[in-house]
Amino acid sequence: MLNVLSDTVTLSRLQFALTAIFHMLWPVLTTGMAIYLVIVEALWLKTRNVTYYHHARFWTKLYVLNFGIGVASGLPMAFQFGLNWAPFSESVGDFLGTLLGFEGTMAFMLEASFLGIMVFGWERVPPLVHFLSTVLVAIGANLSTFWILTANSWLQTPAGGIFADGKFIVQDYFQAITNPFMLNSFLHMFLATLETALFVIGGISAWYLIKKRETEFFSRSFKLVLVVLIAVAPLQIFLGHLSAEQVYHYQPTKLAAMEALWETVPANTPADWSVLALPNNKLEKNSWELKVPGVLSYLLELKPTLDTPIQGLKAWAPNDRPKMVGMVYYSFRIMIAIGMFFAALMGITVLQWWRGKLTTEVVSENKWLLLSWVFAGPLGYIAVECGWIVRCVGRQPWIVYGELRTVESASDLPPGVILFSLSGLMLMYAIFFLMTLYFGRKILQKGPNLTLPAPRTLAQPTLVTEPAQHIPDQRPAEASQS
Amino acid sequence: MQPLEPLQNFLPQVWFFILGLFLFLYVLLDGFDLGVGILSLTAKGEERRSILMTSLGNVWDANETWLVLMGGSLFGAFPLAYATILNALYLPLVLMVVGLILRAVSFEFRENAENKTIWNITFGVGSFLAALGQGFALGTVFEGIKVDELGHFAGGIWDWLTWHSVVVALTLIQGYVLIGSTYLILKTTGELQKTHYRTATIATWTTLAGAVFITVTTPILWDHARDLLFSRPLVYVFAAIPVLGLALIVALLRSLKLRQENAPIIYTFLIFSLSFVGLGFLIFPNIIPPSVTIYQAAAAPSSLVFMLTFVGFLIPIVLGYNVYNYIVFRGKIVVKEEVSLSGN
Repeated sequence: MLNVLSDTVTLSRLQFALTAIFHMLWPVLTTGMAIYLVIVEALWLKTRNVTYYHHARFWTKLYVLNFGIGVASGLPMAFQFGLNWAPFSESVGDFLGTLLGFEGTMAFMLEASFLGIMVFGWERVPPLVHFLSTVLVAIGANLSTFWILTANSWLQTPAGGIFADGKFIVQDYFQAITNPFMLNSFLHMFLATLETALFVIGGISAWYLIKKRETEFFSRSFKLVLVVLIAVAPLQIFLGHLSAEQVYHYQPTKLAAMEALWETVPANTPADWSVLALPNNKLEKNSWELKVPGVLSYLLELKPTLDTPIQGLKAWAPNDRPKMVGMVYYSFRIMIAIGMFFAALMGITVLQWWRGKLTTEVVSENKWLLLSWVFAGPLGYIAVECGWIVRCVGRQPWIVYGELRTVESASDLPPGVILFSLSGLMLMYAIFFLMTLYFGRKILQKGPNLTLPAPRTLAQPTLVTEPAQHIPDQRPAEASQS
Repeated sequence: MQPLEPLQNFLPQVWFFILGLFLFLYVLLDGFDLGVGILSLTAKGEERRSILMTSLGNVWDANETWLVLMGGSLFGAFPLAYATILNALYLPLVLMVVGLILRAVSFEFRENAENKTIWNITFGVGSFLAALGQGFALGTVFEGIKVDELGHFAGGIWDWLTWHSVVVALTLIQGYVLIGSTYLILKTTGELQKTHYRTATIATWTTLAGAVFITVTTPILWDHARDLLFSRPLVYVFAAIPVLGLALIVALLRSLKLRQENAPIIYTFLIFSLSFVGLGFLIFPNIIPPSVTIYQAAAAPSSLVFMLTFVGFLIPIVLGYNVYNYIVFRGKIVVKEEVSLSGN
């Protein structure tokens, strides 16, 4: 343990991992929720049913709480590449820096600028302009998912150039951007944020339904979430499967760690799928294991026996393969279990709906079903974090898979300095995490305001993007965002 | 290779300009943002602090984003500079990031909190720390960063801390307070506005004192700055800047005395622009002062072109919707009596 605290590379990794893990908690929710907000506002404009307006306002409150902290907690991410990973930044900056520049100009700015109108502008701009702002906020959020996933996918499957003298020289930008992992990884993450947000909204709605508070209001959001999930939940499992197949083709060391597979499975033999195992790094085997025969070959190639062999971890020298096999192995399984649970819960709930058990009058009687939804609320976060652990811990010892090692990429900083920033940031993030829960709970206890009148601007018949006369800034000084 | 040379010089220059633009917009916009935050530490009463924070509610986010834009673009356009500068400024930049985080979360938590005191303090202190961190970074620009022959950071972790950088940091904080005060003059009325006419006047004098000190000491302390400042034709530029600056300060003080509402912030913006131009001339063509040039630190020309195609296309659009945002929320902040009507 003391070694860890005096090793610059380990501390830099720890700081990056922990800031990323904490930071992710907030944008994962807001990115998905932005799409939900677009949906309710579109319904509001289309039906002019004020309930949808109240939905937009209520969920926006949770959105804003999470958004600000997402921006704040993301700042260290933007600077950490240079602060802690200077050799890495210099080596791949030509390409990776370009992507981060794109993310800033295309995504962050769009999101941040229109958020003001989305939150405070209800009375100041015409409804269509407001709707457009909400759409642009959602586009901005998802564009940043796109660029971050493109950048990270490139670290997994570098393409479009060559490494010369430790520096990456781009030859074809298009090829580098559309690297093998890019499309799948983006779609998988896009759906992950959406699914997480939907289950948070669904879980909160279920909580209100159990308490029989505002039943009509929350059975509406509950069903809305359910409708979207009918498509999202199964599709996500499929995309996850495709991602794992890609790992099989492009990152054999990671696949071996995901499956805690020490010995190579030769071609033309069936591969077993491990359900539970106790990987032992020292002995280079699993101390104990529960396997289902032949399943892995079906999962990877849809055949009883394999065409290409699966390399076991022992096929590489210990320095050329991931060390934390158990962490990768279990994170992968937890993610899968949550994805399956989500799809099953969606299926059962749709069944209940079809049987007429979800009408406003009787929906609260589905005690166990609703409790399962409340339970499912935070699971999306866990699945996302686990997925990223598989992705990035499984990539080790490489920072750019097969090209650049993590140990060669860290800035040469005194360990004490990193320990200082690491502990400071962690303390802050832990406090913010608790505070978000505390204030989120307060917002939920207060509940939606169903007496809120529709915005005055709706009465205006024509679209004027530039208000004609001087309107004073009448945001109330207190509680100004609701 | 001969015909390519003008292009190879031109591209890093364009990116130097773009990065300068991002940094300039950040300093102006987050400058008043941070200034208001620092001023909130002195604000008396919850109502005043509320107005101060409301005046930033819809813009702080976008303002802060200019910094992220600048960081990302620096990474892409001058990877070596990004790596070396951030490495050298580890502690001040961590300080800045911590400060920015503290003030950002204060907005959201304060909104929902019953006891607002703690979030008022984190907001003010966060703003101060962010400004302080930036001030030390600016100080290092004058001082220079020690590098080896490859342009990698070769100094110590505390290099940024000198008596001179402390003066620069304090001056920048004064500048932010000035710009924040003039923003509040624009956005508020009555007693609150009166207070900020006063803070603006005080901040003008303190900023001036710091600026004069820095202008005088820079050529005395550093040879490279002295050589540059007194070389032709730059000497005319550097001679014009203090003269124009003093004229603008006089105009600013006059507008404050006459209780003008729009003029002070415009003069302050102009003063900042002028200092920024001066700083630009002082640094150019270096990107890691005092020795690594933009040509040495630049990414490959193809990278610069590729990034320029998209970012260059987006800059006018980004500026456009930022302006729109300010237009939508223009005018004075008015405190509503019945908070409960819209604040549910």
